[in-house]
Amino acid sequence: MAVPKRKMSRASTRMRRAQWKATAPTLVKTVENGKTTYSLPHRAKVVEDSTGTPLYMEYKGRKVADV
Amino acid sequence: MAAPTKGPRLGGGPAHERLMLANLAAALFTHKSIKTTETRAKRLRPVAERLITFAKRGDLHARRRVLATIGDKTVVHELFTEIAPLVELREGGYTRITKLGFRKGDNASMVQMELVLEPVNPKPKSAKKAAAAAATDAPEETPVEETVVAEDETVDAPVEETEAPAEDAPAEDAK
Repeated sequence: MAVPKRKMSRASTRMRRAQWKATAPTLVKTVENGKTTYSLPHRAKVVEDSTGTPLYMEYKGRKVADV
Repeated sequence: MAAPTKGPRLGGGPAHERLMLANLAAALFTHKSIKTTETRAKRLRPVAERLITFAKRGDLHARRRVLATIGDKTVVHELFTEIAPLVELREGGYTRITKLGFRKGDNASMVQMELVLEPVNPKPKSAKKAAAAAATDAPEETPVEETVVAEDETVDAPVEETEAPAEDAPAEDAK
């Protein structure tokens, strides 16, 4: 089994860890009834009734799946 | 013609993938709509559509070729007698994949895959194609008048259609 020969320096450990960055997802902004929501594009959305209970999933005005 | 798939087989090996796709296709024809992962759905689409093409052909040879993939005779019977007539006029594109979200546990992208069984609603031909068709038809009968009338109709129709969505779009934004 291959084994590291030298202890990894604190500097190189930190340089490796510094390269792990988060990327912002591309979101779509929709304003509905004065409420602004951000959502992923091309993905079905959950339709809720007035009390916030999820009913079904909708895409382009069509019911596609149950929650 | 299905393009060769890139990357490793689904499941563990070629046999596992064949079985998985056959079972998914059978489930799709039984339930008309299934929830699965995006990767599986994308692999399933050419398999399922090919089986539907066989079903549209409808003869015994086609039935036996489908039975080679899906072993269940009741599913194949349903495919040939119920699904095939509904997609008779549709020229390919028998399935629809809608992305739903990500599965809890492994964060796999889930989709709803369904058969497109609605009656075909053909798109109006684009102005250029319609004009070309009119030009080819016209010389046989009355060359001058036919083309003029046809072009007017074809030019007018798409403009109205393009205006209508444009009007709708700002209205939705304004809400």
